Amino acid sequence: MEYKAEEYDVIVIGAGHAGIEAALASSRLNKKTAIFTINMECIANMPCNPNIGGTSKGHLVREIDALGGEMGKAADECYLQSKMLNHSKGPAVHSLRAQIDRKKYHAYMKNILENQDNLDLYQAEVIEIIYEEGKIKGVKTKTHAIYEAKTIIVTTGTYLNGRIIIGEISFESGPDGVFPAKQLSHSFEKMKIQTRRFKTGTPARINSKTITLEDVEKQPGDEKIHLFSFDNEEDESKIRTNQMDCYLTYTNDNTHKIILDNIKRSPLFSGEIEGVGARYCPSIEDKVVRFKDKDRHQIFIEPTGENTNEMYIQGMSSSLPEEVQIMMYRSIKGMENAKLMRPAYAIEYDVIDSSKLRLSLEYKGIPGLFFAGQVNGSSGYEEAAAQGLIAGINASRLIDEKEPFILDRSEAYIGVLIDDLITKGTNEPYRMMTSRAEYRLLLRQDNADLRLTKKGHELGLISDERYSKFINKKEKIEEEVERIRKYKVSPTEENNKILRELGSHELTVGVKLADLLKRTELTYLNTEKLDKERKKLKYSVRNQVEIQIKYEGYIKLQLEHIESFKKLENKKLSENIDYSKIKGISIEAREKLSNIKPDSVGQASRISGVSPADISVLHIYLNQINREGL
Amino acid sequence: MLTETIAAISTGGTNTGINIIRISGSKSKKIIDEIFTSKDKLDHQKIIFGKIKNNEKILDEVLVSCFKAPNSFTGEDVYEINCHGGRRITLDILEIVLEKGARIAEPGEFSKRAFLNGKIDLSKAESIIDIINATTKKQTNIAIDQLNGGVYDVIKEERDKLIELLAHIEVGIDYPEYDYEELTLESIEKMLESIKQSLIKYIDTYKEGKYIKSGINVAILGGTNAGKSSLLNLLAKEDKAIVTDIEGTTRDIVEETVIINDVVLNIFDTAGIRYTEDVVEKIGIQKSKDIIKKVDLIILVIDLVKGLTENDEEILKLINDNNKEYIICLNKMDVSCENVIKKDIQAPERVIQTSFLLNQGIDTLKGKILEIFNLGRIEENQDLIIVNERHYYLLQKAKEHIEKAINISKQGMSMDIVEIDIKSATKHLGEIIGEEIEVDVINKIFEKFCLGK
Repeated sequence: MEYKAEEYDVIVIGAGHAGIEAALASSRLNKKTAIFTINMECIANMPCNPNIGGTSKGHLVREIDALGGEMGKAADECYLQSKMLNHSKGPAVHSLRAQIDRKKYHAYMKNILENQDNLDLYQAEVIEIIYEEGKIKGVKTKTHAIYEAKTIIVTTGTYLNGRIIIGEISFESGPDGVFPAKQLSHSFEKMKIQTRRFKTGTPARINSKTITLEDVEKQPGDEKIHLFSFDNEEDESKIRTNQMDCYLTYTNDNTHKIILDNIKRSPLFSGEIEGVGARYCPSIEDKVVRFKDKDRHQIFIEPTGENTNEMYIQGMSSSLPEEVQIMMYRSIKGMENAKLMRPAYAIEYDVIDSSKLRLSLEYKGIPGLFFAGQVNGSSGYEEAAAQGLIAGINASRLIDEKEPFILDRSEAYIGVLIDDLITKGTNEPYRMMTSRAEYRLLLRQDNADLRLTKKGHELGLISDERYSKFINKKEKIEEEVERIRKYKVSPTEENNKILRELGSHELTVGVKLADLLKRTELTYLNTEKLDKERKKLKYSVRNQVEIQIKYEGYIKLQLEHIESFKKLENKKLSENIDYSKIKGISIEAREKLSNIKPDSVGQASRISGVSPADISVLHIYLNQINREGL
Repeated sequence: MLTETIAAISTGGTNTGINIIRISGSKSKKIIDEIFTSKDKLDHQKIIFGKIKNNEKILDEVLVSCFKAPNSFTGEDVYEINCHGGRRITLDILEIVLEKGARIAEPGEFSKRAFLNGKIDLSKAESIIDIINATTKKQTNIAIDQLNGGVYDVIKEERDKLIELLAHIEVGIDYPEYDYEELTLESIEKMLESIKQSLIKYIDTYKEGKYIKSGINVAILGGTNAGKSSLLNLLAKEDKAIVTDIEGTTRDIVEETVIINDVVLNIFDTAGIRYTEDVVEKIGIQKSKDIIKKVDLIILVIDLVKGLTENDEEILKLINDNNKEYIICLNKMDVSCENVIKKDIQAPERVIQTSFLLNQGIDTLKGKILEIFNLGRIEENQDLIIVNERHYYLLQKAKEHIEKAINISKQGMSMDIVEIDIKSATKHLGEIIGEEIEVDVINKIFEKFCLGK
């Protein structure tokens, strides 16, 4: 017997990384929100890599934080080790990554959800989205409760019709042995939402007491620790003094032999798995088969918590039979006695076609229904959280009848992510990479707050207090940049001596300190003695000043490129254009354009199958239309 | 969309033997049916004889050809009326075509439609313009070569090299912890250097390419009665080029355009420069200065009888100051054989003896011109020659970015910044071959088409 339980503004299905950000955003925007999880213990679970951040993902976390999301703060509370990747390369590609205590992270997020105003947390399996007369009305749970809602956000991750595969064995399951969501897909069929199968995999977890740590290479965290949240800048209390270590080891010929000998038992190669996996997240058997010439592959051993021995074996995800896995892992140096606490597995799950979404993440043709996270075909916790945040914001704005909040490719990695998902669609699980961002130098992780805090404040997710703290920082940066642009360094003997010692050539005429800083061997810090008027500034301020001055020319160049980019983005395309009439465009392009119905010429140019020649034709066509006044 | 039928005179419209009025669009059949009568039936790819009439009045006897969509130049129904070439008649016929429902085509509109209907792509469009404007065999060959993909293949190769380099660099950035052979700075710099050298090779051909395409700008200077006009008349007896819009010059100041040895010479009008016998007019010198700045070559005609005048020395100085090429004709050698002048002139290889009166020395002069501009050695099957100013500009920009990338890498700048310049270079090369979108360019290209094409 069904019963009517309650009414909400926003219902979020799934309490993974996407669901959490979505629910927190809408409830913080004062919308009555409910979030459902199939299993309370899996809130904010990390079924794969126990870390947050990394190349380009760290950027996403910073942006989520600047917009008022929660992930950065959670990571700062629960990290075991912190590392800044690409440290030796330029600031545009510096990426922060933190190993996370899984259990702690889960507890932190559950606690936040439980205590959030306007938010109710339920353990229940949502089995149906109620869809009548072309409108969504609410959801129904397995225990027959009906919850009405104005908007629904689907963040089911890898649970939809999930199936775990280990060698010859497969069974219906969500990640980590939790039961899957089997019925919700029927609602999708009714709403004519097409799904396809993706797959991902995870390695085994091994008990650290069975690993000979002396035989593997220690990989400690950074000495200087950086945090994710801008709110925690300069907060000493969050700096760990005792980080946990990771370890590095390698596969060898033996390992490869074991894998190749048993390759027929791999479901990937036996055709058992129909889902499409990611090219850049291959299983170890994938790697060994594809890269036959490599005599060894890197394996990282990562801790998953302070109070557990479970070690995550990065680089060795697999769906080979358990028996083979044991042999395989034990062939590796340091792991000869390894005992698997959890086996590696592959998981297949349903995803939707992300190109059917609008840039606001609302499903085209079904108002009020949003999708975010891995269900859209993305991979990664950070990618999921970013989408969740945007979906939560836009569900809220839809209710308020406001324009959706959309970031474009020149504003944030979040913009790149969503634009890629919508415009390009995905044929494999989508992972964010810095190379996907055209304006990488402008979209740095260190300036996410400068780019987005104001927007976060306007949206209502950044408090006045935090905002004024931010304005203060911004003003200090601007003042200092101005000051060193004007400060003159004279060609005195004293100054030249300092320059010589820094390996820089001497001055014959006075130069502005800003110009001097453009020399690669000089930094803000090491030119201290040349600058008599310098006051002590916080790291976050001086870092920005240095970057803005050093890379000024290039930043300007990218800003100019953005000008041209915006021109194409602003050339709007009506939804009603009949692309089949434009004969000069290739057939493939006509199909894609008709399917996706891009908003602008800019977006059209990014659709795969639409070439620059097609865009030229489109452009001229638009001109002619405008001329003929149609 | 594009529903209007357009028409224009495709042949220039002046008094010639035959003029062609081209009509393209859905209404063209209807228009032809109303104004054209014939004993035969008009069909696709047929050209038939008949009469154009305005109501009952017969305007002209014509040949009309028909190309049915999509198998025509524009992809639409195209009819071409070949009429007698009198200007009046042609305009009259055009008038009734317009009356019956067509409108006058804009510059390049036929080609635009061909482009929109997928009949030609952008670089082919450009090469069509070049073929249309070609006046010499060399120009034609190069344009046809481009039509067949000459520029495309070569530039694509270089661009692909850059893209591969970028891919290597990107892997190092997105996967910093993984062990794979990261490219050393040295090898990156080496690769960039080799690509840069290739680009320089093509850029250098533009100097000649430009001359092949647009001709050499020449000014004939010298004192009154030294023989300037005689020289001009002698040159004018050569093949005349049909004067079209030449890049970089305006028609009014080019007096004569001739072709010698398949190279176009644009001879500038120097009639405005006058010298008095004794005093150098300031105005005259200013005019000389202006012209010297504009041209590629100065032919200084010196009267052997009078000897080197002050004016002549002024002009030589101006030439040297502006670093211009020059040839000195010691004219009237039929009258005087003074050798004394030669030693006053610094570069004896630039000096030839002539007698325009007796038509002597012209061949030597022609040979010298080709020699100076290295045009003698350009063969038919040369490696790629860049003749297009847009291509030249983009190649220059690409080369500059690569140079910058190499320099800052040597200075220790990190790879993700160096990459920005490499990406810019890649973009510019892509713009040459149409693999990057630069929408303003497209408009510019079609503007260059003149009416009727």
